[in-house]
Amino acid sequence: MNRNVDKQLDQLDTEEEQLLRQVGYGDLEERSATAVLVNHDMRIASSAVEGVEILPMQQALERYDWVQDLMFKLIAPDENELLRQSVELLNDPIGCFLYVHDGAEVTLPLQTFTLMETPQGRQFTHNITVIGRNAKVEIISGAAVPARVHAGHHVSIEETYIREGARCRTISIEHWGTDMQVDSYSRSELAPGAEIDSTQIMLAPLRRHVSDSKTRVAANARASDQTVVFAPEGTERVFNGEILLAEAGARAESVARMVSAGGHIVNRALLIGAAPRTSGFLGCDGLKLSDEGEVFAEPSLKAESAESELSHEASVGMIGEEKLSYLMASGLDEDRARDLIVKGFLNLEEAFMPAEMRTQVADMIASAKTGGM
Amino acid sequence: MSDLLLQLRKLSVAVSGKPIFRELDLVINVGEIHVLLGANGSGKSSILAAIMGLAPFETTSGQVLYRGSDIGDLSTDERACLGIGLAFQRPPELAGVTLSAFADALDAGETLDREAAALDLTGFAERDLMVGFSGGEIKRWEILKLFLQAPDLLLLDEPESGVDLAHIAAIGAAINRLTAPPTGERRAALLITHSGLILEHVEADVAHVLVDGRIVHSGEPRTVFRHIQQAGYSAPTG
Repeated sequence: MNRNVDKQLDQLDTEEEQLLRQVGYGDLEERSATAVLVNHDMRIASSAVEGVEILPMQQALERYDWVQDLMFKLIAPDENELLRQSVELLNDPIGCFLYVHDGAEVTLPLQTFTLMETPQGRQFTHNITVIGRNAKVEIISGAAVPARVHAGHHVSIEETYIREGARCRTISIEHWGTDMQVDSYSRSELAPGAEIDSTQIMLAPLRRHVSDSKTRVAANARASDQTVVFAPEGTERVFNGEILLAEAGARAESVARMVSAGGHIVNRALLIGAAPRTSGFLGCDGLKLSDEGEVFAEPSLKAESAESELSHEASVGMIGEEKLSYLMASGLDEDRARDLIVKGFLNLEEAFMPAEMRTQVADMIASAKTGGM
Repeated sequence: MSDLLLQLRKLSVAVSGKPIFRELDLVINVGEIHVLLGANGSGKSSILAAIMGLAPFETTSGQVLYRGSDIGDLSTDERACLGIGLAFQRPPELAGVTLSAFADALDAGETLDREAAALDLTGFAERDLMVGFSGGEIKRWEILKLFLQAPDLLLLDEPESGVDLAHIAAIGAAINRLTAPPTGERRAALLITHSGLILEHVEADVAHVLVDGRIVHSGEPRTVFRHIQQAGYSAPTG
């Protein structure tokens, strides 16, 4: 394959590659472009196809003068104290600029990953993604730490621009350290007629994760996302999400499935119908595997237009005795019956996911439920 | 080796302290098909649940013997692994759990593929268990499920209720194939029927009439069913 390497400072070592494979990393030949950030360095920034650029942020700012106008366009650097402090600490922005040109139809997925290898390290990343007009692309992203890294703090900003008529499918998997804090800020802007389907998989334990996301959906654009979360004892995950159906014909569907095995999960989702002929759905389903921990689901709807159709469903409960008994009556022991129900609840069958990732994700689910992660 | 497969010996069962049936005696030998007839609320389904060890049914006295061993202390899955299978009357919906995932968990994916067509469930492999199923589809699935488990004792709770006439024949044929496998010993069954329609398709050996938690009569199935049609749930006199 004729690979256009924008920057490839070094290859990953075996341990790093194995770590990243657990969160979706594939051989470069199986991906149209690859970016890997290790600590504060872009280890790999490589594109193999025309119409896809993947650059370290600093290089992108130097190459295209319009990139600076996209930076902090969707989120203010002083939106809160944590962001303000994080931004001020940096001399050069660290992160990845992913640019799919107008009309590009990329057959192999792109992949971007973050590795944090320093115990008690602090990592702040700022990524910008631009999917050009009528482009089609699939993106795999992930984050991981080696087993020796338990504690640290990761702060990330993602600004994503899906241009007119573009189609994008994404999947992200994370595997942070058990005593880590993660603060993630995600902002997306869908132009008229754009579509995005995104899946987030968060199964590994960590101390606390606060996710703050906002998506603006323009005329006749569609945003669909599903999030699956598993929180064992000692893990706290807080999600604050907002989807704005800003223009006529905008649609959105957001589904979160949350399993607490003693951990705390809070999901506050707000869907705003601000224009005529908009429609949207919020689904928040929680499953508790023990009496410890909590699942708090708060879907909210705000209709600013009389012609906006919004709905939501929320449920939180334990695994019903009747369901367990039914499966056990066929010979499955209680653990296997629970596994089957939890796996079914997390339901990733229809998510965009390369075939080799399905096995990895199935292993992660099995491992999470047995406390092996 | 004894032909005795299941024996209920003066079995009494209660729910939350309320007796459901008392001192029930029943013997099922290997390969025998027994039918249980009784009015709504007479305790028929409770007997199957008690044999299977399902909550909230508690054995207050007596024994459930399977192949000569008391299984009263065994959990539901342990009883299933011994060879007891139950086709539920009203199984719960299991959103997200597909037929194929369930079959794989039982290591019976090939059986699912092979048997689905005969029960008109082709194309159901990726459907979630019971979610959006019609009443008839649920009944057909419950029989298909027993193919996956291949138990030696089939507990069939009203397998034909809610099923259209055409599919009752398919269910009957499936039960006959279950009870008479191509290899191995003939399987036994305890079958509850309300309408009696399934008896047109399944050759049963003996029928029992249950009244107020007691078996008041046992006899040739079609004769017993005709009596019930004429005189209601009671023991024939004379």
